[in-house]
Amino acid sequence: MRRAAMDRWILILAVILAAVAAVQGASYVHRGIRSRWTVLWMLLSFLAQMVVLGVRSELRGSCPLGDTGEILIFSAWSLTMFYMAVGSVYRLSLLGVFTAPLVCFLLSMALVPGMLDGTPTHVEVVDGWREGHAAFSVLAYGALGLAAVSGVMFIVLNRQLKDASMGTGLFKNLPPARELSKIVKRLVILGFGLLTLGLIFGLVMKWSDGSGKHLFVALGLWFAYGVLILVEWRRGMPPRKFAIAAVALFVFSLMIFPLLK
Amino acid sequence: MGLNHKTAPVEVREHFAVPAELLGSRAKELTELSTIAEGVVLSTCNRMEIYIAAEDRQTGVRILREHLEEGRSADEMKHIYQKSGDDAKRHLFALVCGLDSMVLGETEIFGQVKQAYKQALESGATKGVLNKLFQKSFTVGKRIRTQTRIQMGATSVGNVAVDLAEKIFGELKGSHVMIIGAGETSRLVAQSMMSRGASNLTVTNRSIERAQSLAEELNGEAVPFDAWEDTLTKVDVIVSSTGASEPVLRTAQIEAVRRKRKFRPLFLIDIAVPRDIETEAGDIEEVYLYDIDKLQQLASEAKESRAQQVRICEQMIAEEI
Repeated sequence: MRRAAMDRWILILAVILAAVAAVQGASYVHRGIRSRWTVLWMLLSFLAQMVVLGVRSELRGSCPLGDTGEILIFSAWSLTMFYMAVGSVYRLSLLGVFTAPLVCFLLSMALVPGMLDGTPTHVEVVDGWREGHAAFSVLAYGALGLAAVSGVMFIVLNRQLKDASMGTGLFKNLPPARELSKIVKRLVILGFGLLTLGLIFGLVMKWSDGSGKHLFVALGLWFAYGVLILVEWRRGMPPRKFAIAAVALFVFSLMIFPLLK
Repeated sequence: MGLNHKTAPVEVREHFAVPAELLGSRAKELTELSTIAEGVVLSTCNRMEIYIAAEDRQTGVRILREHLEEGRSADEMKHIYQKSGDDAKRHLFALVCGLDSMVLGETEIFGQVKQAYKQALESGATKGVLNKLFQKSFTVGKRIRTQTRIQMGATSVGNVAVDLAEKIFGELKGSHVMIIGAGETSRLVAQSMMSRGASNLTVTNRSIERAQSLAEELNGEAVPFDAWEDTLTKVDVIVSSTGASEPVLRTAQIEAVRRKRKFRPLFLIDIAVPRDIETEAGDIEEVYLYDIDKLQQLASEAKESRAQQVRICEQMIAEEI
């Protein structure tokens, strides 16, 4: 019980750190200055998220993906991890400032009463396929979430370039449009690959009541991302349309959460 | 003591100019004059300035002036200004920040001052006073450039175009630029793009001879005016400045090659009046169209923004003195 209380306090700390990254980053951008502190706050939030997941993992005796709260924390963790892994120049430019609010939102949602099980059941038998399905799916969320964040950045920059509004701090700090567009595509492909693995594991694992629904939606999502990648590969696509699709599909993918039991 | 673009015309400045490789030896020569203990000589296309540390200020000024008068007329010497003590400090600090430059806030002067100081230091012409002064000026210069917006935004049409190209494509390395109409502004824009890494250049003009001449100058390729459309699938940037009364590049022409281009971004710079490129072309998703008015407006905004920063810079300099 004491550990269960501790994980909430550390989760609150992770939320605060992500919020600091978001607010300070936005303030720096407004002043036209690069915010190198964002990386540090995000790194500290990442470490706090890891501690929470570690505690939950010990309480459960399995991968901490047993309730919606844990899935939200795991998603935020994988989003932060991909943010830390994407090239340093790009990261320092602005990605962190755009990622931090989403991480903060996901972690805050996990704090809503009922999301995190106060007394998680200790799992006696671990189903490797189920664990693999959950882990790969959540990692896919991280990559696809970051693709959506980069997509938003591209849409904003594209609008500023079209309107010839160069004077803002945001314009100065955003990475070049072509680079952003490439990153959106790479992250969508990476996320699609991870989602594919998650689905393969999901189809092999033992199904419980209700798991069919979310797998059905996940298959639809996988198909939609597949079509997007195929169209881009075969005939090309205006970068703005691709970015909008990456954002829209990620928002659609959030539909899966209410279907999880 | 010195003269610059504000106090002296080019025909006077050129009489005082010192070749870049002689800055150190000229500084050393100064220290051989009576009472002058240290010296730095700075010479750029817009200015020639001498910084000295002397045992006695008035004597030092007199001796330096006599030294400068050698081989120069009294009329030329009228363009010389002199500053001492805190005024000289303030002048140097403002100089390294680009506040005294022809293009406000330009960054080249910082490197030029650094080079002049380095040569003086290596020739043994500087000691405690000027070493401390110049080191301090570089610290102030860096602080002002990072904490203010004095160097933000391009102030010429050419630089605005290049900055925009870099915002669209990132590095220009490997980019393909096409010039339609071999005018002077197009040449300048193309030159800036090539200097920032663009590797392919295609020039087309109604007179193929002019196209060839410009292509040769910029290490590009000339194509006849009736054959340039084929290049549309490959280019990243088009700079157009013909004297045509009808649009030279139409929306339909771009629409026709979008799939072949795999919807890659296309940056169109229309500096012709009347305009060469149909305005509707800018509605195509991956096309960024800028005409001369937009470019000039952006350059003016940057100039205005820099001018607004001057007072902040001066306050910061005053704090440092």
